[in-house]
Amino acid sequence: MKRIFGARTAAVGAAILAAGVAAVVGFGVFGAHGAVPRTGPLSVHVGLKKPPGAVVRGRTLVDEKGGRRELGAAVSGSMMGPLSPVAVRSSNGELIAYNTWQELRSVDADRSFSAQGIKEGAALGVPSLRVLDDQGKDSVLARGAYSAAWRRDGAIAFVRGVDPVFRASPTYAGQVVVRESVHGRDVSWADVPAHYVVYAWAGDRLLFYRIGLGEKTEMLVADGPGKIRSLAEGTAIAISPDGTRVAVLSEDATSVRVVDIATGREQSWLDVTTATPSLRWVAYSGSWVGDHIVAPANTGLAVFQVGPDSLKLEQVLGLDQAQFPAGVQEPRFVDDSGNEIAASADVPPANGSGGVSFLLECDRVARTCERTEAAPAKDWLRQVDDTATRRGGQ
Amino acid sequence: MKMRGAITAVLAAAALAIPANASAYRTWFEFTRQSNLWSPLTIATDYGGGFVTTQTWRAGSGTSTDACWVAHGWLPTGWYDLWGHWNNYDGTIKGRVFYLSNKPCWNGTWRSELFIHSEETAAQGQYCPTAYDDPYCWEGDYDYHSNGCVKVSRAGNPSDLRLVHDGWHSRSGDYRHGSFGVGNFLYVRG
Repeated sequence: MKRIFGARTAAVGAAILAAGVAAVVGFGVFGAHGAVPRTGPLSVHVGLKKPPGAVVRGRTLVDEKGGRRELGAAVSGSMMGPLSPVAVRSSNGELIAYNTWQELRSVDADRSFSAQGIKEGAALGVPSLRVLDDQGKDSVLARGAYSAAWRRDGAIAFVRGVDPVFRASPTYAGQVVVRESVHGRDVSWADVPAHYVVYAWAGDRLLFYRIGLGEKTEMLVADGPGKIRSLAEGTAIAISPDGTRVAVLSEDATSVRVVDIATGREQSWLDVTTATPSLRWVAYSGSWVGDHIVAPANTGLAVFQVGPDSLKLEQVLGLDQAQFPAGVQEPRFVDDSGNEIAASADVPPANGSGGVSFLLECDRVARTCERTEAAPAKDWLRQVDDTATRRGGQ
Repeated sequence: MKMRGAITAVLAAAALAIPANASAYRTWFEFTRQSNLWSPLTIATDYGGGFVTTQTWRAGSGTSTDACWVAHGWLPTGWYDLWGHWNNYDGTIKGRVFYLSNKPCWNGTWRSELFIHSEETAAQGQYCPTAYDDPYCWEGDYDYHSNGCVKVSRAGNPSDLRLVHDGWHSRSGDYRHGSFGVGNFLYVRG
């Protein structure tokens, strides 16, 4: 069986290691532990053998105890990127839903469709959702479906394509459906076919995106089947632990608003370009624990402190741009105190080597991280999102 | 040098392209990713006999340099077909737009619904009602940011958008509007 954190090419490994050493030397003294998280560079070291929580990579799941299971198909976030987790664990912890992609014909990304003889409407692939239970049984949840979120009662929301097949055509239109249980029937919550991505449940309300022209993102909230309202233009950084609020990132990625989900009322707002220290941008799909939010940022990571009607930038953590030119994605607090953060870091292809992914686990007080060995980016090395499990258990 | 290589590639690929106009000169765009706010967009026309002319404008794409970051990163590298061109498009983006084919990035994530466009109204005007960043108003350099589309300036007279638009029609001889296909319309590198 393929190793989850196997060795990759010596050249890339050496380059990364060298860059890491250079970063440590260049940044000077690291690891000065203090009680208060401070802004500064992160020192990243190789050595993360077992990330916190379960992870997926290719056709393998490694659970939180290190046990390995083979999945029925390889994981893939090809339909939504980081807008929604690739794999999500149910609130009772027994099920993991994951996204897959069945390729119907290969596409050379360097060439145009026309140069490959791919005509408009040609079938390219089929996204599907699969479910793995704690007994190891793996089955298709829905063919022509992607982006899943578990509700605390075991219902699962996802996007179901009008046509299961992804084609060489402008939009893969779908509906947002909710299935009461894995073997239940689908109830449509958003009928009008559009390019949707399910994000997460906030209590009994479902947050999802409608992707428009130019990949413009609109965050919608469904209070029930057909009861849909627009919450904001932009994307979600995280939902509060009690499910009542969401931190919304503006379309231009420069401001964060905390919004009451029930009313749509803005509770606080922050322009990160004028904050101290200032940032060029922050990104979506972060995490919220207690009164702290973590989000990707142009420098690495941004940690916000949330009050009842306030929002401030508490800490900015820098990653070496030579080592991680694309920064990190989907950072999650992995402890209740909000000091430990795990995240994915994708490194784009360069100098003839393919893109790779790492998982990082960082201590934001010590400003140190450990990272896994590199995995090919197409293996989708990702944390299993266990937000529903953690909140279901509270 | 890179441009010469790309020109060779496009000539080789031209036979596979969807014909735009039998009397047209082969015309295409090249976008060289340098930064999100400053990357050159070049129009190139092959008049035959090795005679190729170009014109370049400043353009931007995305907020981050990760092409796999949906609605955030710049667009992936490679060749794109054109899926349509409108003068008075009236969607969430408006005015003069070029609709690009979908493209998977390097980890397989599909990027979709991407255009070459600017910030103007469906009537090709400017709508600037606030002191902040209005979506159909070109206020300045920050407007080069996008969720992934290639954006050019709408400032000045003639604006870069107008030059891009008029350049496409006059060089290619293709005056079609609406949904139609042109093979190998845009090459993205970097």
